[in-house]
Amino acid sequence: MAIRRLVLRQAELGPTLGLALAVAVFSLLSPHFFDPQSLTAITTGASEVGIVAVAVSLLMIAGELDLSVGAVYAFIPVLWVILFRYDGLLPIVALAIALAGAALVGLVSGLTTVRFSVPSIIVTLGMFFALEGLNNLLIGGGDLVVSDRDWLLDVFGQRLGSTPFFAALLWLLVITFLGWFLLTRTAYGNWTQAAGGRLGVARAMGVPVGPVKVSLFVLTAVLAGFAGCLQTAYLRSVTAAQGQDLALLAITASVVGGTSIYGGSGSVIGAVLGALLLSVLQVGLIVVGAPGTFYVTFIGVFLVVVVIVNSRLTARWRTGRSA
Amino acid sequence: MANRSVGVSPLPLVELLHIVHRYGETEVLSDVSLTLSGGEVIGLVGDNGSGKSTLLKIIAGYHQPTSGVVRVLGRPTTLRNAGQSRALGIEPVYQDLAILDDLSLWRNFFLGKERRRGRFGLGLLNARWMRKECETRLRELGLSRIQSVEMPARLLSGGERQALAVTRAVYFGAKVLLLDEPTASLSAREAGNVLQAISAARQRGLSVLYIDHNLHHVLPVADRVVVLEHGRVVSELRASQVTEDELQRLIAPPLSHT
Repeated sequence: MAIRRLVLRQAELGPTLGLALAVAVFSLLSPHFFDPQSLTAITTGASEVGIVAVAVSLLMIAGELDLSVGAVYAFIPVLWVILFRYDGLLPIVALAIALAGAALVGLVSGLTTVRFSVPSIIVTLGMFFALEGLNNLLIGGGDLVVSDRDWLLDVFGQRLGSTPFFAALLWLLVITFLGWFLLTRTAYGNWTQAAGGRLGVARAMGVPVGPVKVSLFVLTAVLAGFAGCLQTAYLRSVTAAQGQDLALLAITASVVGGTSIYGGSGSVIGAVLGALLLSVLQVGLIVVGAPGTFYVTFIGVFLVVVVIVNSRLTARWRTGRSA
Repeated sequence: MANRSVGVSPLPLVELLHIVHRYGETEVLSDVSLTLSGGEVIGLVGDNGSGKSTLLKIIAGYHQPTSGVVRVLGRPTTLRNAGQSRALGIEPVYQDLAILDDLSLWRNFFLGKERRRGRFGLGLLNARWMRKECETRLRELGLSRIQSVEMPARLLSGGERQALAVTRAVYFGAKVLLLDEPTASLSAREAGNVLQAISAARQRGLSVLYIDHNLHHVLPVADRVVVLEHGRVVSELRASQVTEDELQRLIAPPLSHT
């Protein structure tokens, strides 16, 4: 019974163990791992990738990929800031318009994927370039500085009291809970898993596969845009380069967190733990003295190792039916 | 065994009258007439290429007959596609197109027809109710190896999957079940699970059309056996009045030169 439960929870088991191990190793190697600056860096990094990974993992479970989230993550806050700084709208109104823009981006990707049966990896790659071009057009190589005072910017970007944590962490927790709830407690979550399982079965059972996928593309773009706005409120500026690696990091977090690259199964909580793990690795490596930008090399190797180990374990588990 | 159809309406659910089906020049079905009634299991047997599967696909709405009449509940009906057949309560159960590996048993059972809470269409799952309901159905079926409806369907054996799919179709109100070789590649014990699910369906008044090569599986569960050969019905027998050997000879007469 206990083993069965463990196996069922396998998606979260991997990143949890990985996280425990990484924290143990780094805190042994350096006395600075638990410094406030480290904690700030870990949690803001995890929030940035984690919020996007919630949506990306849901989309992957439904059998689709979105490579455009990084460009959305820059494009939507650029739109937002332009609307309230230069067009004089209230930040909250500007945000609603910008997120509607994000929804439109997701709708276009989703409808194109479903209608024309084009692999989403191609459609969203196209979307990535299209938005990157728009970003360059809007702000070029420069950045937009946000010096305004507004309650919304505080809600998005402020420090939580005197803790080393910032608002984005709370948003991450809320969005993680909502994503987990959606996947495991609603019919829509069931259909998400079915859509990425076997299309024929899902259709035969009357699951509205097309609408489910399209709405997940919309959700992904909106969350990526929203996360970008959080980041902008935190940094008080936005550049076109914001979120460059984000799509790949979110996919990495999802896969490390137990979501199948083929779709059909996965875990929102696992994806967020994956994002946290990536952030711990990044900050941990810096704290123990590795060059700051080197960590991606490590993450690349780590990702492949995790997937190999995972598939080995899964294969063993699948053949051990009688247990 | 003579009184198998107790408590069942004698109403013919689906009638096929003089069905002819051609693929180009080839006539796959020639003047086939068949009646599917509630509470009856028809075993459709015959050699490869005798037209069994084509006949099933016509009833399922995947193929349209070249000529002939299909009547559903007494009314002449054109089954244009699978969705239309399904809407009329005709449910094909396929070995590979029924169950999703990664979903738990109860999620599979209720997929696309989830029981929700509240009235606002929020889609909140009434998971407790569905688990319990699924548990009860599986227990009725006697799938004793299943310990929890939370387990992923990939852990089911082939027979258990089929049984689950059949039970689900019955549960959601199918009137006619179409099964194409549901016991192919199953062990005897697993085939037993499927046959039991078929019996349960009959008892609830469904009509079951059951294609199988394995007469050993067909005879114990069928009320009527229809033998197809080269697209024609060559015999139609009460299952209780024929032995396996006799039936085997009808399907494949012993070749004289062996």
